[in-house]
Amino acid sequence: MPKLMSIDDFKKLREDSRRDIAVRLKTGTKIIVGMGTCGIAAGARDTMQAILSELKKRKIDAHVTTVGCIGMCAYEPLVDIEQAEGSRITYGPVKPAMIPRLIEEHLTNGRVVQEWVVGRLPRA
Amino acid sequence: MAVALLRSNLMICEGTGCAASQAHDIRAALTAEIKRRSLDGEVRLVQTGCRGFCAMGPIVMIYPEGIFYCQVKPEDVPLLVEETLLKGRIVERLAYQEPLSHKAIPHYSEIPFYTKQKRIALRNCGMIDPEDIREYIARDGYAALTKVLGEMSRQQVLDEVKASGLRGRGGAGFPTGLKWEFTSRAPGEPKYVVCNADEGDPGAFMDRSIIEGDPHSLIEGMTIAGYAIGARQGYIYCRAEYPLAVKRLQVAIAQGREYGLLGENILGSGFSFDLIVKEGAGAFVCGEETALLSSIEGRRGEPRPRPPFPAVAGLWAKPTNLNNVKSYAMSPQIILNGAAWFAAIGSPRSPGTAIFALTGKVKNTGLVEVPMGITLGEIIYDIGGGILGGRQFKAVQTGGPLGGCIPPQHLNVKVDFDSLRDVGAVMGSGGMIVVDEDTCMVEFAKFFLTFATAESCGKCIPCRAGGKRMLDILTRICAGQGRREDIARIRDIAEGMESSALCALGQLTPGPVMAALRYFEHEFIAHIEDRRCPAGSCKELTPARCLNACPAGVDVPAYVSLAAEGRFAEALAVHRERNPFALVCGRVCPAFCEQRCRRGDIDAPVAIRSIKRFMADHELATPWIPVKLQPARAEKVAVVGAGPAGLTAALRLAQNGYPVTVYEALPIAGGMMVVGIPEYRLPRDILNQEIDNIRRTGVEILCNHALGRDFTLDELFDRQGVKAVVLAIGAHRSLHLGIPGEDRAGVIPGIDFLREVALGNPPDIRGKRVAVIGGGNVAVDAARTAWRLGAGEVHIVYRRTRPDMPAYPEEIEAAHEEGAVFHFLAAPLRVLGPAKVTALEIQHQKLTEFDASGRRRPVPVEGAVLTLAIDILIPAIGQETDKLCVLNAGLETNRNSTLKVGPSLATTRPGVFAAGDAVSGPASVIEAVAHGNRVAKEVEVYLRTGRREKADIPLEAHLPPLTWDMQQYSEVPRLRLPWIPVATRRDGFREVELSAPEKDIRAECRRCLRCDLEWSQFQQGVQNVRVQGIT
Amino acid sequence: MSEVRITPDDTPDLKQLDPLLDEYRGQKGAVIPVLQKAQKIYGYLPPEVLRRIAAGMRVPLSKIYGVATFYSQFYLTRRGRHIVRQCDGTACHVRGAGKIVERMEQELGIRAGQTTADYRVTCEVVYCLGSCGLAPVAVVNDQTIGKLAPEKMTTILRSLE
Repeated sequence: MPKLMSIDDFKKLREDSRRDIAVRLKTGTKIIVGMGTCGIAAGARDTMQAILSELKKRKIDAHVTTVGCIGMCAYEPLVDIEQAEGSRITYGPVKPAMIPRLIEEHLTNGRVVQEWVVGRLPRA
Repeated sequence: MAVALLRSNLMICEGTGCAASQAHDIRAALTAEIKRRSLDGEVRLVQTGCRGFCAMGPIVMIYPEGIFYCQVKPEDVPLLVEETLLKGRIVERLAYQEPLSHKAIPHYSEIPFYTKQKRIALRNCGMIDPEDIREYIARDGYAALTKVLGEMSRQQVLDEVKASGLRGRGGAGFPTGLKWEFTSRAPGEPKYVVCNADEGDPGAFMDRSIIEGDPHSLIEGMTIAGYAIGARQGYIYCRAEYPLAVKRLQVAIAQGREYGLLGENILGSGFSFDLIVKEGAGAFVCGEETALLSSIEGRRGEPRPRPPFPAVAGLWAKPTNLNNVKSYAMSPQIILNGAAWFAAIGSPRSPGTAIFALTGKVKNTGLVEVPMGITLGEIIYDIGGGILGGRQFKAVQTGGPLGGCIPPQHLNVKVDFDSLRDVGAVMGSGGMIVVDEDTCMVEFAKFFLTFATAESCGKCIPCRAGGKRMLDILTRICAGQGRREDIARIRDIAEGMESSALCALGQLTPGPVMAALRYFEHEFIAHIEDRRCPAGSCKELTPARCLNACPAGVDVPAYVSLAAEGRFAEALAVHRERNPFALVCGRVCPAFCEQRCRRGDIDAPVAIRSIKRFMADHELATPWIPVKLQPARAEKVAVVGAGPAGLTAALRLAQNGYPVTVYEALPIAGGMMVVGIPEYRLPRDILNQEIDNIRRTGVEILCNHALGRDFTLDELFDRQGVKAVVLAIGAHRSLHLGIPGEDRAGVIPGIDFLREVALGNPPDIRGKRVAVIGGGNVAVDAARTAWRLGAGEVHIVYRRTRPDMPAYPEEIEAAHEEGAVFHFLAAPLRVLGPAKVTALEIQHQKLTEFDASGRRRPVPVEGAVLTLAIDILIPAIGQETDKLCVLNAGLETNRNSTLKVGPSLATTRPGVFAAGDAVSGPASVIEAVAHGNRVAKEVEVYLRTGRREKADIPLEAHLPPLTWDMQQYSEVPRLRLPWIPVATRRDGFREVELSAPEKDIRAECRRCLRCDLEWSQFQQGVQNVRVQGIT
Repeated sequence: MSEVRITPDDTPDLKQLDPLLDEYRGQKGAVIPVLQKAQKIYGYLPPEVLRRIAAGMRVPLSKIYGVATFYSQFYLTRRGRHIVRQCDGTACHVRGAGKIVERMEQELGIRAGQTTADYRVTCEVVYCLGSCGLAPVAVVNDQTIGKLAPEKMTTILRSLE
């Protein structure tokens, strides 16, 4: 690590460091991946990896968590997106290739990708 | 850094506390399991510093959910990974359980231990990896330093810290900003910034936790101080007992230098500052600032007189700013959030937060940071979860070995610098050690004094000699060799030390002793005058804790051991030496012995009462003829009242040769044992057997003879020719509720109700709705009796909560089984009805601050009133002695209607003594028996010598040999006597509790740890040592 | 860290002090760190070592001795292979540390502060190791062990070779 030479150097370092501990900070967005046996069998792990790298790439603060089987095995891998405002949207089946568009539309542009939606829950 | 974004962080607390609880094994297991599950790309393990909740370690927290797992074991790891990391489910078993409800609380943010806290100095502890500077930076670390370097002048920094009102967290509470300013203005170069991390106070570990968990906060604070003062070199003097803290500091300093946040020209600002860690070498006095500076200079850590203060002439005689870890660690937050933010927290004269290490006999031990001004009770009960094992809170020691203790009556004291000083304690380093009734306050004071005198550096005489002399006195008192003048001598020495010792160590050394004397002088007196240690902790005075706890001093280990061998008659004989009512006490004794049984520290106390019952029942067929211990004497003695106190006194006097007549007002003998305790707890024929035993010594019991109604004291002395009278008239009058409508028909005072039932005149309450008011034994007995008489509904209305009820827990449980409806936090307001009672108006209560008894005080909730439809109301909120009877007899009473007696139990009239409830207020059978034994002795002394002085009944141990292998009984659970089914209880007053088979009882006996034998070995050891002349 | 064993007949190898004395030469306030490091080398501070340090640092022996005897961390006699330090700080005290000390003394047949004749164990009673949340605690060869009971202490002592 090269020495920080100025306050601006320091501020840049701080931004990077914050992203590293993002999961411990508060955020309004939660992405939930179904990780039941059927979810994993349907490729949920790859989907999750794709979500994580996409978030990193776009520098989006969102928490990614997992959940066991929700019972809609036919639509696995299932991905829920829950935001501070608005309902919880369930997408499925979500393949890794769909992730960039899903993240861009839902999280960046704030538009639900209707054709992939399989369910909608009011906020818990 | 990780390539992909991580979805989860697992924070493993590896502070010294959790590390001692095998946190490293957890980390290894987690690492392996995460790898096995190929989660290593998504999940990161972070090793953190102390999260404070040490009692619950090892602790694992999982983000982003904020899940808090505690007491995690390596074998829990696969399940944890499978359930929580993969499936997002909570493993309830690993979550924190609320002690009362056993409800799992999986989220950090909801655990009571944390919710009342406000973390400033501890904000990062447990939240970051202390060995990674970037994690500190990510949580706004070094932002205050950049603000200072970029935007603030030295004076602005000084002004900000001054305006915040921050007071030195080392304990003395001197304003930090002012200290900084003094040093900055003092002439002389270079200047130094020094941190006192020599956390020597036993029971304090917050500085260690901050350094281990968040070392950069200290470094940043010191750097800011360096900037404000104009110093470029700092020293951190850290205890050598904290190796991990030293290591973390060194790592952090190296990282600071690497990142350019320490060293030359920090962030290009032109300001340079660096730090050196100095390890202490084990001397408590080095916590004193001048001694600490001597130690850094490489000399003996002896204090020197002040002034000059270190701000003027400190390290190497240069201006030096010395603060505690917490003061430095808080300052970056003050700079960042502003002085006003900090000043708004806490109390006006002590702004901000205080950190306490909550330890001792409290459920949730650990580190807590709370706003100043929170009450002591909130810390101990709300955060600390109350006292371990449901015992009684006795005191809390604050400020470590130089602080003071605070008793229950001050639980409402606000915790800040000034309020604590007002009650004789100090904030000090923030140690908060909670003790319960097992701690002897004399021994506790001696403990602190031992520590302080051992750590005295010896430079000044008051500290070196004064401490030693005071310790000699306390050692003597604890050994039962105290003298009457000792307390005054202690006070003298203390005064001398406080006024003339050189440094704080010497001046504060007497503090704990003086505080103990202020609140617990009665314990000192018990040691000195009675040769008793009420807590059962001073070894010389305590043959066994059970024996010591018994008011009558019954030799429990002896009779339990004899019973273990089936020698029940001999066991009973031992019992009767001190207590003639084995059949009774085997059924109704509160068993103080069991509450203090050492076996209870391991699993559960020996079921002493059950053993007693068995041995007494076993010998039922063999009538006891008490032995005559002395030849017959002529002086006649009259006893008024045939309750346990009166009958015991009569027995002892008769055994010693005196002719005794007992006068009883009621038609039957037994006092409260017969008219207070219902038959389902104590069958009448059983009680009568024991009363007959007493008659066999020649004691005459005259029933239907009431003092004042049928005879007077004058008549006893003048006409009957008695030489002494024992008044044991009990407390048979119900206290009034003092509410409107109390005089309506259908209101029956509790004790009157029980008496009428016992005398065979039960009121007809079949099918009626009954409400009992009160939480004591009389209330519960009345409720259970009402149910047996066929009441339609039985309600118990109590103004506090169930744990506060003074009634025996098993009785409360039984009443509950029998269908009684409990109304807690409910106070009666009015008794309604046109003529007869039709309803009770109840005011709902809420608990507020603590009262003198250490319980929370109930106060009315405005507007929350409900009406309970009832036909019978039984108030049972307490009893008192019949004051009129006493006054008519020409004797004096106290304000609470008890008889006024001297230390020898002599009343204001010569020859008249008193005992039992009439003296003590309502108490148990065993307490009355103890009084009976004592008053008999006092009467004897009086009759033989004419003097009235306190007689001594020393404790004795019979010490029968150990006849079993204790190891074999180490796993045997406590015996529980069976109860008859609820369905069979209602058709009368059959005894509810049954006995157990002999083999079970004998096995139970062998659970006894025979503390008495340990004591006798100890006594012999003391003897040997004395013989050899070592002491 | 290389461990040097000294039997009573051995004279300590004073050469090992040289690099240490070089490192701190001319530094202010170095007496305590030098003594600490010397003790790490020899396990305690024998007279020869103190003399050599005094000469090497050009500090009177009386001053070195004064410092070495002031602080409880310095030992002038040889210590056991295992060090058991039972805490009797306040928190441990109220949670029964006394019983554990008794057990320790009984088990080893020595008093607190002493070393067994075979130099197997040195046992000490100390005031507060700062792990009060786990009281009673002991530190056995630098490993903190919490929530102790007399039985556990017996097991620990018997496991030390």
